[in-house]
Amino acid sequence: MKTIIKFLFLPMISLSLFIYVFINDISPKLGLDLQGGISLILTAEEGTDSELIEQAVNIMRSRISAFGDVQEPEISISGENSVLVQLPGITDQEKAIEAVGTTGLLTFRPVLNSSLSLGYSPALTIVENPDDPENPIISAPNGVDSLTGLTINDDPTKVSYLLSLSGGYPVIYELGPAVLTGNDISDALAVYPQNEWIVQLVLKDNSANKFTELTKQLASLTGEQRKLAIVLDSQVISAPGIALDVNPNIGITGGTAAISMGNADQGESANNLAVVLRYGALPVSFERSSIQKVSATLGENTLRLGLEAGLIGLIFVSLFLIFYYRINGFIAILGLSSFGMLFYSAISLLGKYQGYTLTLAGIAGIIVSIGLAADSYIVTFEKFKDELKIGRSFQYASEKAVTEAWKTILTADFVSLTASVILYVLAIGPIRGFALTLGLATIFDLIFTRFFTKNAVPLFAKVSDNTRLFFPIKKEVLSNV
Amino acid sequence: MFKKLFLGTTEINFYKLGNTFLKVFIVEMTIFIAVIGLSLSGYRDLNLSVDFTGGTTYQLSTDYSSDDISDVMNNTILKVSRYQTFENSNSIIFRAVESTQDKETELLNYLSYKFDVPTENIEFQRVGPTFGAEITSKGLRALFIFLAIIVALISFRYELKFAIIALVALFHDLLLSYTVYELLGLEITPSTIIALLTILGYSLYDTVILFDKLKDSQKIYKRNNLNSDILNKTFNEVLMRSINTSLTSAFPIISILFLGNYLGIDGSLSDFAVPLLIGILSGTYSSIFVTVPFLSKIIKTN
Repeated sequence: MKTIIKFLFLPMISLSLFIYVFINDISPKLGLDLQGGISLILTAEEGTDSELIEQAVNIMRSRISAFGDVQEPEISISGENSVLVQLPGITDQEKAIEAVGTTGLLTFRPVLNSSLSLGYSPALTIVENPDDPENPIISAPNGVDSLTGLTINDDPTKVSYLLSLSGGYPVIYELGPAVLTGNDISDALAVYPQNEWIVQLVLKDNSANKFTELTKQLASLTGEQRKLAIVLDSQVISAPGIALDVNPNIGITGGTAAISMGNADQGESANNLAVVLRYGALPVSFERSSIQKVSATLGENTLRLGLEAGLIGLIFVSLFLIFYYRINGFIAILGLSSFGMLFYSAISLLGKYQGYTLTLAGIAGIIVSIGLAADSYIVTFEKFKDELKIGRSFQYASEKAVTEAWKTILTADFVSLTASVILYVLAIGPIRGFALTLGLATIFDLIFTRFFTKNAVPLFAKVSDNTRLFFPIKKEVLSNV
Repeated sequence: MFKKLFLGTTEINFYKLGNTFLKVFIVEMTIFIAVIGLSLSGYRDLNLSVDFTGGTTYQLSTDYSSDDISDVMNNTILKVSRYQTFENSNSIIFRAVESTQDKETELLNYLSYKFDVPTENIEFQRVGPTFGAEITSKGLRALFIFLAIIVALISFRYELKFAIIALVALFHDLLLSYTVYELLGLEITPSTIIALLTILGYSLYDTVILFDKLKDSQKIYKRNNLNSDILNKTFNEVLMRSINTSLTSAFPIISILFLGNYLGIDGSLSDFAVPLLIGILSGTYSSIFVTVPFLSKIIKTN
């Protein structure tokens, strides 16, 4: 009884895990190559500070979430200086790639007018329609969308109508040509001197004069025109007004300025603004080293191919094992299917709790591991045969076989495990997915050999000592060697 | 025959065959070196994927004629270096050399217009050459560390001589895979590199199982070193396992290849399957045909 429990222990655990995963509707998280979408690898120059890359990744994340349309964007650092961007189910490819990959342009532009004073975009001219007072005639200058009143292709050297979302509600600003750019800034810091957050802006020495001139001019104006817009990639990040106590004849001097940010959000917006000011956009420039677009159908087809090939492979292996090893073949099939269920559950759970995604390379790893797992059974059964051949009893032979086989498999699996650990630690991108599945499979293989096969083979050796039930050969032939 | 193979009582004198195997091994090596020499001196080109050379691939499903293909190959926008079609599927892949983004988009629009397929239905992949280079260099670094650990492990568990034989078998498998790729002109993709790394693991796994068996036989004969009897007994007995294991490992991979071809799906899964199959066959082969001559040499010097 005890041995039967021992024998069924792992299959039961695998089955219950599988049922748990199935009932809770947890399935493996599919990588982009199986689901469709865009995958992009961006590489910074060798030796780039890892902190800068982390900052860049954070900026990319916020850009992508502003982009909408993306289901579960995944942006991660891969290797020393690469960033892996995965955007599943995205349609506007070019725009998305641009959103993450470009360094972005930061400009300072004087505000000429805004929707705050008009109530609608300053680009639009609204004339009352004498025929239909409900629907006034709206006209927009060239290059401006007549529906939104926003400039379509922003050129920083010309007047543009750009959107700001930073205030919690949309504002459209009419902006003059850029006067300063991100290059004029030497540093920006969010500080909390007293009662409110401010962003302390430090300009480069040779840009301080330009800034003084600009603020002189702005300080002489009133209302919206007193504001200076900070624009990143055609979006107004902030539009602080020049303080009322700035003298229009002197301007802001000394190459520094303070932007008041209020107290509302514990300095979060102040910090964000400081980061944007400091780094323009991305703190490092990236080269697009790989862009891959996979359509949803190709992804599905590939997944189907992988699953079907795996299943067919498993069926062939099973038929072969039953033909060749008979009762032991059934042990192997029970073990292999439990192995399969455990593996599926593990990958699903890893996907849910650790964010592990199953990619094509991962599927290849699984298919290879079916072969390696089957080999562990073959090694055991062959040892069993060898022991029978030298005239041992079934019971003794089976026990000796599992002990000896364990040692062999331990050594051989150690080689596979070493390979997967080294690959996982040192390699990048797709190789990692492959290494992880292979390593996981090897560990499961060891567990099954030690706690399943080791109990199962001696248990079934008790059933009968008819050689025919274990091998495709007669007893006399086996013992006559 | 099967009975003997099954019982491990085939009476092949591996010890004596060692010399013949050695000759085969030398012939193989000569071919490998010749092929490598040819490709190094530029007479033959390895078929490297865009990941290594940089460029763009376009894949679309459409009805096409051979005229359409030659039109595309001779287009004036961008040099299309290769195309690929499939049986049982109307998929077609074009590979263009590296160029500017404008040119690539122009070709995309051209293909879209020519085959009347909307641009969003054309699989489009653009890569710089750095990706392939990075995968290769990281892979090589992983390889060297892996080999160092494996040599230490096998020397510790068995003998240094065995570790060296395992390395020779492994290099044999790598060179064989390389030569097959070179001669058949199969495309080398990052997946191929991953698969090659797996081949290494597989080749060693096979060799280690064999060494283990060899050690077992030594125990049975109560000897500390090899002799021709131990060698012959071990290899005759291990033949069946080798065949069985390569069969069970090859089944799933062969089914990928057949299904993939049947469904008309090209792509990374087949990219894995081909080198893995070559590797498994070569690994099985080398664990017997490459190790035997060197083990015979060890016995002779003893």
